[in-house]
Amino acid sequence: MAFITVSGEPAARHEELARAAAQRLQFELVTEARLEETIAAQFGAPNGIPGKAWPALALSILANLATERHLAISIIGAELLFQNLPGVLRVRVLDPESRRLGSLMVDRGLEREQAKELLGRLDGEQASIRKHRFGRAGGRIECFDLMINGESLETEQMADILEVAARSKGILEAGMLSSAAEAQLQFQARLKLARYGIVPPDRLRQERKQFGHPSEEVFANLLDFYGIAWHYEPRSFPLQWDKDGKVMEAFTPDFYLPEFDLYVELTTMKQSNVTRKNRKIRLLKTIYPHVNIQVFYQKDVQDLVIKYGLPERLAR
Amino acid sequence: MNEPSIERVLFTEEQIAERIREVGGAISARYAGRELKLIGVLKGSVFFLTALARELTIPTKIDFLAISSFAHQRGAPGMVRIAKDLDDSIEGEDVMLVEDIVDTGFTTRYLLQNLAARGPNSLALCTLLDRTPRRIVQVPVDFRCFEIPDRFVVGFGLDYKQLFRNLKYIGVLNLDSA
Repeated sequence: MAFITVSGEPAARHEELARAAAQRLQFELVTEARLEETIAAQFGAPNGIPGKAWPALALSILANLATERHLAISIIGAELLFQNLPGVLRVRVLDPESRRLGSLMVDRGLEREQAKELLGRLDGEQASIRKHRFGRAGGRIECFDLMINGESLETEQMADILEVAARSKGILEAGMLSSAAEAQLQFQARLKLARYGIVPPDRLRQERKQFGHPSEEVFANLLDFYGIAWHYEPRSFPLQWDKDGKVMEAFTPDFYLPEFDLYVELTTMKQSNVTRKNRKIRLLKTIYPHVNIQVFYQKDVQDLVIKYGLPERLAR
Repeated sequence: MNEPSIERVLFTEEQIAERIREVGGAISARYAGRELKLIGVLKGSVFFLTALARELTIPTKIDFLAISSFAHQRGAPGMVRIAKDLDDSIEGEDVMLVEDIVDTGFTTRYLLQNLAARGPNSLALCTLLDRTPRRIVQVPVDFRCFEIPDRFVVGFGLDYKQLFRNLKYIGVLNLDSA
């Protein structure tokens, strides 16, 4: 069992670094968004979970995942979840304010002063989440094994440092969490959660990425390359219902990019077969006008293949 | 397999020159009384940047950078990084990123974020071509010469497998012949 936690202030590159580490070390990435989705799927709305129950809940989910994969975790306060466990590397990214401001200016189209104001607000929100979950707002430096000053480092260079630290600490040689160890962790988590009236399901349902087409996997790699967060097929949109309200037809876009609130659909099939999908997309836009979706048709995918030098078989 | 051919000319040499003159005028007006640093992204923007710089009437510096290519990664693709950095600092300067084309916005967003973190006084984006139908990541385009349809284009710096950059015009490539 190996856990790498990567933390940082809002708009720092901790999630980007966690993604790079996951990709490089073949770990599974667990982000705040993914954990929230899992909590929502298993336990209902995350905001209905009492703060004091959150660490046990998160640990229960992560321990379950760790029976099959090593994990790279970018969740607020994750370093505090694994204080007494071996096989853990806790990393903190220290990005200077100028870089954090730069990210906000570009991503949100803000002037520097507006970005400063927003950053202050985000800092406050993160402190409040930490306090809610762990009873204190700040992160203590002794909770980290490695702190990386990102001022003059590219994300890839930080990933180099992280990888060396992980190898040096020997966590990459660790086996998966055994069933017995997981059962022990789950037992402890259940005891804590029971105090708050929360009963976890016997076996958590794990979401696994099974791409429907090789082009989707390459597109996911492309997003990873540019450090863009994504979820694969996170939501189905009902399009038609029968008279009893049962869903007769639905549409599930391939990707969701949370930073841009955008769904992306890749269509590699021949244009002659696209008509049915186009109808679904038109319906989607009519029923859910607030949903942003970008469709890439066969020719678009082919152009991406050429532009980014991807294997040409993927365009077909 | 045949080499792809030019299907049609989208913008002639004259049209490109005329439009760059207009955009150059607009940029000169916006930055009147100031000094501007143009930053080009190797290799595609070289042709456009040099043509644009010649149309500016304000004091202008130029610099270039290059980023790693997704295509050239072996095994796991890793992450985008600066492959050739700027020669000089841009702290406190008025900076304009000059692109040959903005389509998905992936590269442009990364570059704008990277440059914004270096503390410029201002940061703007100018692109020769803007292919909005392909946009995934929204980026603020301050100056654009042409909006183009969803077609594969080459020429005036834009390439297909490193070829066609030296065309004086911008053409639509017929990929079906490839």
